[in-house]
Amino acid sequence: MSELTLQDVRKSYGEAKVIHGVDLQIKDGEFVVFVGPSGCGKSTLLRMIAGLESITGGDVVIGGEQVNDIAPADRGIAMVFQSYALYPHKDVYGNMAFALRHAGEDKAVIEDRVRKAADILGLQDLLKRRPKELSGGQRQRVAIGRAIVRDPEIFLFDEPLSNLDAALRVQMRVEILRLHQRLETTMVYVTHDQVEAMTLADRIVVLRDGRIEQVGTPLELYHHPENRFVAGFIGSPRMNFLAAERSGDGTTVTTQGSAPIEVPVSPRDTQGPVTLGIRPEHVELVAPGAGDLDARVLVAERLGGETFLHFDLGDEGDFVVKTDGGATHQSGDTVGLSFPPEALHLFDAEGMAFAPRERHALIG
Amino acid sequence: MTDTASSNRARASRAKGVSTRVAVHGVLAGYTLIAIFPVVLVILNSFKNRRGIFTDPLGLPGEGTFSLEGYATVLTQGDFATYFSNSLIVTVTALFLILLLGAMAAHALAEYRFRFNTLLGIYLILGIMVPIRLGTVAILELMVDLNLVNTLLALILVYTAQGLPVAVFILTEFMRTLSRDIKDCARVDGLSEYRIFFEVVVPLIRPVLATVAVFSMIPIWNDLWFPLILASGDATKTVTLGVQQFIGQYTVNWSAVLASLSIAILPVLGLYALFSRQLIAGITSGAVKG
Amino acid sequence: MSDPTTDKPEGVPTRPAGRRKRRRAAGAHIFVFLAPALLIYTVFSIYPLIESLRLSLFDGLEDGTAVWAGLDNYATLLFDPNWATQFWRAFWNNLVLFFIHMVVQNPLGLLLAALLSLAPRFGSAYRTLIFVPTLLSVVIVGFIWELILSPLWGVSETLLGTIGLAWLYQPWLGLESSALATVSLISVWQYVGIPMMLIYAALLSIPDELIDAARVDGLGGWSIFWKVKLPLILPTLGIVAILTYIGNFTVSFDLIYSIQGSLGAPNFSTDVMGTLLFRTFFGQQLQVGDTHMGATIASMMFFIILVGVTIYLALVQRRLQRYEM
Repeated sequence: MSELTLQDVRKSYGEAKVIHGVDLQIKDGEFVVFVGPSGCGKSTLLRMIAGLESITGGDVVIGGEQVNDIAPADRGIAMVFQSYALYPHKDVYGNMAFALRHAGEDKAVIEDRVRKAADILGLQDLLKRRPKELSGGQRQRVAIGRAIVRDPEIFLFDEPLSNLDAALRVQMRVEILRLHQRLETTMVYVTHDQVEAMTLADRIVVLRDGRIEQVGTPLELYHHPENRFVAGFIGSPRMNFLAAERSGDGTTVTTQGSAPIEVPVSPRDTQGPVTLGIRPEHVELVAPGAGDLDARVLVAERLGGETFLHFDLGDEGDFVVKTDGGATHQSGDTVGLSFPPEALHLFDAEGMAFAPRERHALIG
Repeated sequence: MTDTASSNRARASRAKGVSTRVAVHGVLAGYTLIAIFPVVLVILNSFKNRRGIFTDPLGLPGEGTFSLEGYATVLTQGDFATYFSNSLIVTVTALFLILLLGAMAAHALAEYRFRFNTLLGIYLILGIMVPIRLGTVAILELMVDLNLVNTLLALILVYTAQGLPVAVFILTEFMRTLSRDIKDCARVDGLSEYRIFFEVVVPLIRPVLATVAVFSMIPIWNDLWFPLILASGDATKTVTLGVQQFIGQYTVNWSAVLASLSIAILPVLGLYALFSRQLIAGITSGAVKG
Repeated sequence: MSDPTTDKPEGVPTRPAGRRKRRRAAGAHIFVFLAPALLIYTVFSIYPLIESLRLSLFDGLEDGTAVWAGLDNYATLLFDPNWATQFWRAFWNNLVLFFIHMVVQNPLGLLLAALLSLAPRFGSAYRTLIFVPTLLSVVIVGFIWELILSPLWGVSETLLGTIGLAWLYQPWLGLESSALATVSLISVWQYVGIPMMLIYAALLSIPDELIDAARVDGLGGWSIFWKVKLPLILPTLGIVAILTYIGNFTVSFDLIYSIQGSLGAPNFSTDVMGTLLFRTFFGQQLQVGDTHMGATIASMMFFIILVGVTIYLALVQRRLQRYEM
């Protein structure tokens, strides 16, 4: 019984509204990631689930019980913090045992649970060390171990990897995934890093300005973003956008003086200009004149295994094409850009996506 | 550039380096001498007899001049044991209150969001700008009303009020830099707000507490004004006031005067020797931020 | 930083739960944390200040009651010949004291700090020793110098003699013409450690890279100090100035009272606001103590400090830009 439900959850500080009514259902054992730019409210939302932040309106329900007014320690949650939050005056064992000791748990039980958690995380030899004698990765492990020891119904992670260097982050990401497979506990994880979100999550919740923009599996968000914000936020490098004109029934567009392009989306009756979106990895390079558009290469970034070609296509800024490392294009070359119709996205003036006619094969 | 030219230049700059260094040490050593000479002079001469003090004030105490007569007079005539214990009681109690109450208030200001937070913060540190002595007239009336004149408690209360603003200021600044996560973690672990303060926050601020303690101690130990006005009775005299009045009575007994001065100086120097690093680090870090 | 427990949630009531769960407390702990400090501080620091201001607006009668006097006491202090000469003399002496500290103590502190910031060998020893006088009680310092400068002991004369300047010696503390300056210099001797430390710390906080950059730009040690370091530590010099100003009105009492007594001997030449306040409030020789005039003098000191602080905040501090370092 560790479902988590948010019902119209709101938060404001005085006049300033930070969370504008969030509804969300998280299933037992699910790994859900909150992602969004800084200031989007994702950490606030997590802290409201933890009980560290009061709730201005709505309900937080854990395992069928409304917990709005329950103290954090009694919500059946454990939390892993960005700065690890280890007590500097206690050793690793003391840190991991702290909550249980405080709760008056039996000594033998504490010992047993700390040992088990230490085994899972490979901390057996470090139990007598103080936090300052540990590396960043080890500290993070202790912080996670401390959460495991409490045997919570829900794990909450608040950007736990952002203080680690890149290599360690990849390693810890895998460890957290394995931990989830092993414990099968509900986990809610906050990050600003969309790669972390894509690799860890069963479902991703994209937040902006205190509102949910879209909830879905990583591939749903990647292939079928519901709006321009999600389209631009998920995927790296980000999706290219081109201002476009509609003609006919509205699913045929022209952009940058191109020939009419048929986009396979359901027609919708909206007014105003539209935006065409396509991911850098989906654009195909062809001979000049053979594609939808011709453009001159501004800069070629060669990463070895792959090459990013940058183009300047008018008001939407940088247009990037990802191609293989062997591409011979030089800056100044003119190339043709071809847009495969199934990879195209179309957004209305408000940024809402036109629904695709067919779902992506992997999603169904 | 030729070899000679570059080596000439190197030699010139090296010569300049040496002369600069000599000048730097000259000034610093010279002023250091000025700073400690009077103190050393007093302490040295306190170990001499009257003849030694006057015929050879700059010499070390030695054959024929060494004498503890001054200390003997001080210890028999003045009640320095009482003065010391008074100073100690007042200083230690006031320090304890300043640190405890200051840290508690600073914690509230740094940790919690509540109405009037900023306003209360400003109110509490106003005392840095406005010396408490300007309220002396009313403080004395208040102490008379409370029946606290000539009690150590009067001094303790006034010094606590005097020390709180700086303590709250420094501690609030420092507590704002503490990780919020660790306190939240303690909340998730089920600690009450009070236990979070005493078991999580206090251990974290221990070094700063030490600095604030050394800082606040000096003006309390050295104060003349409030002991003179609030507690000048024999039973409540502090060392500073005791020395001041003792010297007033024994102006002609030079060895006694010098001995009483030394008695007042030595404990401070001893404490300074122990804590100078913390004190200086505290001043330095506070200044960097301020 | 936000508190989980202060603003009231307006959610639906908690459903009865199996095990007993603690509800989150209201803001009581904030009150518990703040109240003791606020209480002591308000009762023994702020209230007396306000009460002093109030007392200065009343006059005491023979029978011990007080009557409203408005600004009469202030008028008396500033214009009545008996009071005005004393007040303006004390005020002037405070200004002289402040001036001497500004031109001797603070430049000396700057010099010492600048030299220390070159990280010479024994630097921390110099620093520690120069700070020693600052730790001592003003009373002790006063007596030490009184003894050293005393013609009876003759230490000063002997010392001057060793450099052939014995003829310079005068009993400086006893002469009206030199007493105030001598007292000021004693105070400078005692407190120079404070500006030295503050400025030293500010100099240390200047990043090395900036100094390296200046060196690459061709500046020598001297011009680096004047053109790079000094502008960056101006805010600290401003703080030092205002601390000097405030300290000048309070701390000067201890020194002058212990060396020269509450009459500011010789012949009031070292009488400052602090001694005037003490004398007025407690009475001295022929004069009876006067609570209301005492409160008036304290209030005047308060206003004088307020004016200084306001000028500092409004003009100096605003102009002195703080640089992100």
